[in-house]
Amino acid sequence: MIDEIVLETQGLTKYYGNVLAVDHIDLKIPRGCICGFVGRNAAGKTTAIKLMLGLLNPTAGSSKLLGCDSTALTPAIRQRIGYVTEGHRLFGWMSIVELERFQRAFFPEQWDGKFFAEMIEYFGLRRKQKVKHLSNGQRAQVSLALALSPNPELLIMDDPTLGLDAAIRRQFLSGMIEIIMREGRTILFSSHILGDVERVADRIVVIDKGVIRADCKLEQFRTAVKKVILAFEDSVPLQVDIDGLLHCGRSENELALILVGAGDDKIAELAKSTGAERYHIVNMNLEDQFIEYTAPTSRGKLFRWEEI
Amino acid sequence: MALWIQISPGSDKPIYAQIVEQISEAIAKNELAAGDRLPAVRKLAAELVINPNTVARAYSVLEQAKLVTTKTGSGTFVSDPRLHSRDAADINMLAERMDTLITRGLNLGLEAGDLDAMFRDRTNKFVSKHKSEEKKR
Repeated sequence: MIDEIVLETQGLTKYYGNVLAVDHIDLKIPRGCICGFVGRNAAGKTTAIKLMLGLLNPTAGSSKLLGCDSTALTPAIRQRIGYVTEGHRLFGWMSIVELERFQRAFFPEQWDGKFFAEMIEYFGLRRKQKVKHLSNGQRAQVSLALALSPNPELLIMDDPTLGLDAAIRRQFLSGMIEIIMREGRTILFSSHILGDVERVADRIVVIDKGVIRADCKLEQFRTAVKKVILAFEDSVPLQVDIDGLLHCGRSENELALILVGAGDDKIAELAKSTGAERYHIVNMNLEDQFIEYTAPTSRGKLFRWEEI
Repeated sequence: MALWIQISPGSDKPIYAQIVEQISEAIAKNELAAGDRLPAVRKLAAELVINPNTVARAYSVLEQAKLVTTKTGSGTFVSDPRLHSRDAADINMLAERMDTLITRGLNLGLEAGDLDAMFRDRTNKFVSKHKSEEKKR
């Protein structure tokens, strides 16, 4: 069975003046996943998210949410989509209860007032409190409650845990797990905390300088990006040739290769053909993999992920 | 239940593998006995705050290793190790892995007797729990 695609972009591109922020991105996010959207600062995450939601007009290309073009989302489609902005910007002059009333008007059919009240109580917030008097963490909690209460089919969150303490971050992750266990829900969230991404996501999208570098299952990414150390008796070879080579670092008698998608047999072959005395494959955590994967490459061309 | 499973997301070991390792060890130490039911996938996912697919993946690896059996509709249960057929290939692989450890040990300058004692000592840490469980019964 082919998964239903709930978020799709084709050649989506955005220039700010002559600065290219998002460069022909093609994405396909299937229903039912939690997708971590990762990239370094200024990689284009927020712009991409705003384009997807129709909050910015693309310079070229298109994107669709739940089958509807992002630049022409109807109110009926918007009601099925939740969005959490970066920094949890909420109207400061409103109280929590006023914010709820305001937000509920956009989701008249499916707003779950009981759920909202329970979350606010769980977080220990007072309903009459004005937003401007809330701390960052409390504002984030309100924004989470606002995003989850309409029970959105597609939830898009732009760095929702930025600047939050570990406990509130965990509440966010817990909220995501809660949502995903409901039938047919999908979440895309951007984050710089790779440990959080690994915890809750089952897909990963890597964006780098406006270009999509990976769009695949998290597990595929975990398996594919490898570091291999080749040790040599005397001098190291000047060139190594193996498919999927991203970077090659060298020291006096060692080569450190970052490889994508190279099987263990190919690595063994390479070690043999270069005359390495010994080699070993270094296990990396997701953060190391991400850093290596997005490090500036010496080889000119950027590796493009091909979904298997 | 299942609060003894500890997840470290920053580890170089994938989360599903951490779950597999901890449940396998609990079974080896008889902390989980044959017939015990593992927590439901969704329950464990919510408890550990991890993606349910990760738990499902861990359970399917455990099932492939014949450590657990899934009965449709009623859950996932720890299998009885006494009913395992001892697969020659598995035993062979185990022997090869032991070779790696023995090599390392001898390279470190340990003697055969030291290795022997170490091995027995470590094994006892697992098996002693079985005995005390049996006494209780």
